[in-house]
Amino acid sequence: MTALELISLINQFLFIGLFVVVLRRALRDHTAMSFNAALLFGSIAGAVVLARVAGWLGVNGQAGVTAVTLILLTAAPYAMLRLVDDFSGTPRWVQIAGAAAFVGVSVLATLGFERMEQFVEIIIIGFFVAVGGFAAYAFARESRRTRGITRRRMAAVSIGAGLFIAAVVLLLLAALFTAPGLGIVGQVLALTAVTAFYFGFIPPTWMRRAWREPDLRGFLERSIHLASVPDDRAAILELQGAAANAFGASGAAVGIANADGTVLRYVDAEEWVEFPADAFIAGWAFQQQRRVVAIEAATTDPDNADTYAASNAQTVISAPITTDDRRIGVLSIFAERAPVFIEDDLWLLELLADQTAVLLEARTLTAHASELRAREDAAQLKEEFLSAAAHDLRTPLTVVLGQAELMERRLARDPDAPVDPAGVARMVREARRLRDLVNELLDAQRLEQGQILTDRVPDDLCAIVEVVRARHGERGITLPLTRPDEPLVGLVDRPRMEQVLENLIENAMKYGDQPPRLEIGATGDEARIAVIDRGLGIPEEERDRIFERFFRASNVKSVTDTGLGLGLHICRRIVAEHGGRIWHEPTPGGGSTFVVALQLEIPLNPASDADPVPAWPSASGAGALADA
Amino acid sequence: MPDIRILVVDDEPDIRATVSAMLEIEGYNVAEASNGAAALAAIEQRLPDIILLDMRMPILDGWGFAAELRRRGHQTPIVVMTAARDAARWARDIAAAAFVAKPFGYDDLISAVESARPPS
Repeated sequence: MTALELISLINQFLFIGLFVVVLRRALRDHTAMSFNAALLFGSIAGAVVLARVAGWLGVNGQAGVTAVTLILLTAAPYAMLRLVDDFSGTPRWVQIAGAAAFVGVSVLATLGFERMEQFVEIIIIGFFVAVGGFAAYAFARESRRTRGITRRRMAAVSIGAGLFIAAVVLLLLAALFTAPGLGIVGQVLALTAVTAFYFGFIPPTWMRRAWREPDLRGFLERSIHLASVPDDRAAILELQGAAANAFGASGAAVGIANADGTVLRYVDAEEWVEFPADAFIAGWAFQQQRRVVAIEAATTDPDNADTYAASNAQTVISAPITTDDRRIGVLSIFAERAPVFIEDDLWLLELLADQTAVLLEARTLTAHASELRAREDAAQLKEEFLSAAAHDLRTPLTVVLGQAELMERRLARDPDAPVDPAGVARMVREARRLRDLVNELLDAQRLEQGQILTDRVPDDLCAIVEVVRARHGERGITLPLTRPDEPLVGLVDRPRMEQVLENLIENAMKYGDQPPRLEIGATGDEARIAVIDRGLGIPEEERDRIFERFFRASNVKSVTDTGLGLGLHICRRIVAEHGGRIWHEPTPGGGSTFVVALQLEIPLNPASDADPVPAWPSASGAGALADA
Repeated sequence: MPDIRILVVDDEPDIRATVSAMLEIEGYNVAEASNGAAALAAIEQRLPDIILLDMRMPILDGWGFAAELRRRGHQTPIVVMTAARDAARWARDIAAAAFVAKPFGYDDLISAVESARPPS
């Protein structure tokens, strides 16, 4: 056996094998594509078998046999043309012209081969080049329009078709001009062609995996960070984009089921929209927990034809997103055109649905974990607070108890013993401190429960500042004040606003060695009250945190202080509930300035905007009320 | 009662005054210091027989004071006096003779001091 004969024999076996596999699939799935593929390889296999049988029977070269062989061979390009129509659609006249040409060539081969052999062979070569060449080109074009496995398979089909046409043409030319060299080249081309057809029509699993990998990797790369994206809707949109991209589809939708699986939620233009769990093709897939393929979505689910049209979806394929024990939702892919190799798309869809399930589960776990962490943090904060509060209550309690017991013992020894004035003063002082701590605790408690303001009425902020200032004056503490002449009326809960000012002044006295300066003024429709001290100041890196609950600046811990770290936190809550703002800024030259800004109920005369009252902030000197 | 001298170290003046008054009624000789550094200065003047020591204080805290005291070779018994829940552990930390947890009463203080008193 020569090498040529060996290659020829291998080619024949491969084409017959390809035909058998494709035929079995056509009998199973009944699609036009499978039948046309079976027609393509059946015609080639038929020609091969016929030649063998004729050889055994010794009828090789007889007119009838030659004619049938030629008809079978010319059926191959015609079958390719039909496949092109299955894959991407062709104008009707192309199909009609192709069929007419096939019939014409067949008639010519049957009737005219004996008399004008060379002419018929040239006609057949022309038919192969024209029809087969067009098919190979159409497959290549389709390949470029698709993605992933489909793209690679289509490319393989295109290469197979082109090489096959070239091989047949060469073999016919070899017969025509009796040139065995061309025959060898033709057989080698045919071997390459049949290999390409194998990869295109029945790719082995390892090859599909390799072809699928880039799309899967692309999906994973885009979606892997989604476990930690805080916003659910943004995560779903990103997931949909990644899935659509992996398919090269026009869109994708992820529906998330509610707890009892009766409602599916989708993201539409960044909003959640809810549908009953049986709505849309996706709903069927979710309810039946199996993948659903709707090649013509508008026909399969006519009620929602408009929706599919709006999503540019001719074909919809859906698969449930499910973990072992939980139905999470459903993933749908919207394809502009019917998929060519639907089994590959379904394979990828199920993989993506599984990946999506993992991602969504990870998101749930992440959310759950951070919720748990927040709860633990809150519990720890409460624990620390209680421990700090208990510590702070113990010291004054020790003094009150100790002084009382001392008094009791002295009286027991001598009922007429004189009262120890210093001891009584200590007892009173520490009892007051206890009271303040308990009040602070109660405020904190109320704060936890929400509302702390009772009644807001129009009131003059200047008058409130004056009252607080006068109260300090009675105790011999003079607070310098800068204020406008006219009242500044805001909507305030007066006792609470006084509490804020008292707290700020008390802090200033505690951490500074002289009473703070007070300034009140207004810009536009906003009043600002500043408490300016020249005390310790607050380290820059802690300025954002001083309003936090239980926070105490690091530089005051060495100073004997009695607070629980709640004062400023409570101030901020009160001011915020007034719709105002409170902030800290350093006093130029050292110390702290706290500013409370509140909306004015009666805005200042617009004319005075340019020249705020009172000549502000130049009057402040420190510039404390410059915009924060 | 022999003349027993006690140094009360606490940053709270009212606590110092109250504790001193209790100890004086019991016949002890009392001196006060407002933190660990002041206490070290005080023992330079005259070594007390017992030291009542608050733990959390500015400048030099109870741990720092106790370490320095031992480093200087003094074996003076210490009674830890703190508001923290960890009073017992802190007392062990610095090998104190006894501890009282705030809030304590008259009898708690006196019995802690007596348990720390060196045998006469």
